[in-house]
Amino acid sequence: MDYLALYVTLKLALVTTVFLMVIAAPVAYMLAYSRFAGKSFLEALIYLPMALPPTVIGFYLIILMGPKGFIGKTWGMFTGGSLLFTFIGITVASIIYSIPFAVQPMKAAFSKIDRRLLESAYVLGLSKKATFFRVIVPNSISGIAAAAILVFLHSMGAFGVLLMVGGSIPGETKVASIAIYEAVEMMNYRTAGMIALSFIPISYAFLLLINKLNDGERT
Amino acid sequence: MKNCRIVIAFVVIILTISGSAFAEEKISVAVAANFISAFKEIAADFEAKTKIKIEGTFSSTGNLYSQITNGAPYDLFLSADEERPAKLYKDGAAHTPFIYARGQVILWSANKDFCQAKSWQDALKKEQVQKIAIANTQSAPYGAAAKKALEKSGMWDALQSKLVNAQDIAQSFQYASTFAVGAGFCAMSAAISPEGKKGCFFVLDEAPEIIQSACLLKRTANRAAVEKFVEYLASPAAKEIKVRYGYR
Amino acid sequence: MTIAASFKKRLRYFDLDISFSFAKKNMMVMIGPSGGGKTTIIRMLAGLEKPQEGKIVFGDEVWFDSMRRINVPPQKRRLGYVFQDYNLFPHLNLIENAAFAAVDKKEVDELFEIFKIGHLKKRKPHMVSGGERQRCAICQALARHPRVLLLDEPFSALDAITRRGLREELKHLKGNMSFPIIYVTHDITEALYLADEILPVVEGKIDDQWMQRMVSREPSSELALRAAREPRLSLVY
Repeated sequence: MDYLALYVTLKLALVTTVFLMVIAAPVAYMLAYSRFAGKSFLEALIYLPMALPPTVIGFYLIILMGPKGFIGKTWGMFTGGSLLFTFIGITVASIIYSIPFAVQPMKAAFSKIDRRLLESAYVLGLSKKATFFRVIVPNSISGIAAAAILVFLHSMGAFGVLLMVGGSIPGETKVASIAIYEAVEMMNYRTAGMIALSFIPISYAFLLLINKLNDGERT
Repeated sequence: MKNCRIVIAFVVIILTISGSAFAEEKISVAVAANFISAFKEIAADFEAKTKIKIEGTFSSTGNLYSQITNGAPYDLFLSADEERPAKLYKDGAAHTPFIYARGQVILWSANKDFCQAKSWQDALKKEQVQKIAIANTQSAPYGAAAKKALEKSGMWDALQSKLVNAQDIAQSFQYASTFAVGAGFCAMSAAISPEGKKGCFFVLDEAPEIIQSACLLKRTANRAAVEKFVEYLASPAAKEIKVRYGYR
Repeated sequence: MTIAASFKKRLRYFDLDISFSFAKKNMMVMIGPSGGGKTTIIRMLAGLEKPQEGKIVFGDEVWFDSMRRINVPPQKRRLGYVFQDYNLFPHLNLIENAAFAAVDKKEVDELFEIFKIGHLKKRKPHMVSGGERQRCAICQALARHPRVLLLDEPFSALDAITRRGLREELKHLKGNMSFPIIYVTHDITEALYLADEILPVVEGKIDDQWMQRMVSREPSSELALRAAREPRLSLVY
C-alpha cells in the first residue's frame, strides 16, 4: 500500500483545485458576460484539453515545459531550475489538463443569473467587482462547488499527462495512478489492488456531494 | 429511415472488413521496448523471405508480461529479462525459454559535451547535469542493470535527488533526447538509432550484461509459423542485424 | 433639478432620436407602443446603455456627452430603477434586499410599513407574490435616496387588481417625493392617471400626435379621460 503516492495525489488534487478555481473564475466571468470578436475561438481553445487524449497534452507539455520550451525557459529564467519532474511542474500540467472542467460549470452557473439582477446591483451603486462577490457568487454557489469537486476528482484521476511529464519521483511526482501502473509492472498485484480500492470511497463520496448540490438547486 | 439503414450497413462493412480480409499466415509478437528497432528490421527481413506476416506490439517488459498473464493473444514474447519468461514457463503458459539477445545498458546524452569527461561517473557528477533519467529499476531490466552499475561505483545514494524515473527505457531515451534531462540510461540500440547518433554515450563496464530471453506461448494458434520465426531469430542473418544494433 | 437629455442611437428596426427635458417634482410618463424604444431610453438614462451620440445632463452634472467622451457609470449616477421583474436578489430576504444600498437602514422599516409588506420582512423573494416583490423593489430603490426614480413597466407583470392598487399608492406617494420620476408604460389609462407630463415615444421618436390619435379612438373619449382620473372600480368594470 503506497501511502506516499496517495498523499501526493491528494495534495496535487487540492493544490490544483485551489489555484484553478481562482484562475478559472475570471475566465468564466468573461465567457458568461462579455461579447467580443473571436470569443467562440477562444472558448474552443479553452475547452481543448477536454477533447484531447491526455498523452497528446503530455506530449506537448514536455516540449513546452522542457528547458527549450516557452514555459520551461521562462521558469528557468526566474528560478534557475527545471519545471519538469517537479511537484510544481505536475501542478501546472494538472491545471492545464483540468481547465475546461472548472470553466464550463462556472460559466454555466454565471450565465443563469439574469442580467437585470446585475444591472440592479450596478444602479444601486455596486462596482463590478463588488457585484461579483456579493451577487454573482452567492447566486451561483452550487455551480462553483460542482466545478471545484469536478476539478478535484479529475485531478485525482490524472495519469497519462503525469506519466509523460512527471518522472515518477516518489513523494514528489509519483501519484497513485502511476503507482498502480508500476505496481502491476512489478507484478505487485496486491499493492496495486489496495491503492486502486482506496480511490473508490473518496471519489464516490464526492460524487454524492455533487448530486446533493444539483438537487438542492432545483428546489 | 433510409439514413438509418445506410449507417447500419456502413458499420457492418467496417466491422467485417477489419479482421478477415487477409487470410494469410500471421504471427503476433510481444517485444520489449529496447529491442524495437532491431526487431523491425529482422521482422521485415523474415516477411520478405517467407511471406509470413509479423505483427509486433512494443511496450515495457512488465506491461507485456501482465497483458500475457491476463490472456493477451500473443504467439511469442521477447522479454528484456530472463525472469518473466521463466515465470511463464513455470506457470505452464509458455514453452521452454531461450536466449535471443544479450544487451548492454549505456549512458546517453543529447549533449555531445557530456562525453568529454574522463568516465561516465565523472560526467554524471558535473553541476550542469541536473536530472538523469533511469528506467524503473524494479520493472525494467535495463533500469536494474543501471542501478547495479551505480551501486558498484558507489554513486547510487548520492545521485537519488537527480534521478527521474521513466516508465521504460524508451521513455528514458525520450527524456534524454528532448533535453528534458541531461542524460539517460538507455539501451545500446538507442544510441545507434538516427536520433541517438545526434548525441553521445558511455558504455557502462560496471553494468551486468542484460540477458534477454524469449518464450513461445502455449496458446499460440500458429505453432509452425512461430517456430519458423524462432529459427530465423537464431540465424546468422538475424545475428548480423542484432550486432548492428549493439546486441550480442 | 432638471434632466435634459438629447441623444441618438441606431437600433435594430429603427433609429432612436430623442430630445426632452423636465424638472423635479414631476412624474413624467413615457408611453408608446411596445418595442418603440422606451426601455432603451430609460436604460440610457440609467447608464446601462450608451447612446451613439448625444448628451444627458442632470442639473449641472454631465452624465453623458459623446462629444467630450464622458460616460458616468450607473453606480455613480445615484438613481433608482425598478424593472418589471428580477429586481430582487434571490439569495437575500426582502428586508436585506431593500437595505442593500440603503442610506439609512431604519428608514427601510418605515418604507416597509408604508408599502404594507412589513410582515414579510424575512421572507425570500420567491416566497412572496409578484405584487409584494414589486413593492419591495420600490422600497429598495427609495431607500437609496435616489436623485431620479426610473420605473420600467413596474406593474405590467401583475394582475389587473394588484396593478391598480399599486398605481394608486404610487400616485399618493408621488407627492412626498422630492425627485423626478420617470415612468414607462404602454397602458394609456395608467399614463393619464399618473402623469404630470406625458412623453409619447413611437419608433424611437417623440410623437405628440400619437396621444390624440389613441385617445380619440375611444368611443366616448371624454368619458374615458375623466374615468382615468377618478379611479372607481365600478366605472372601469
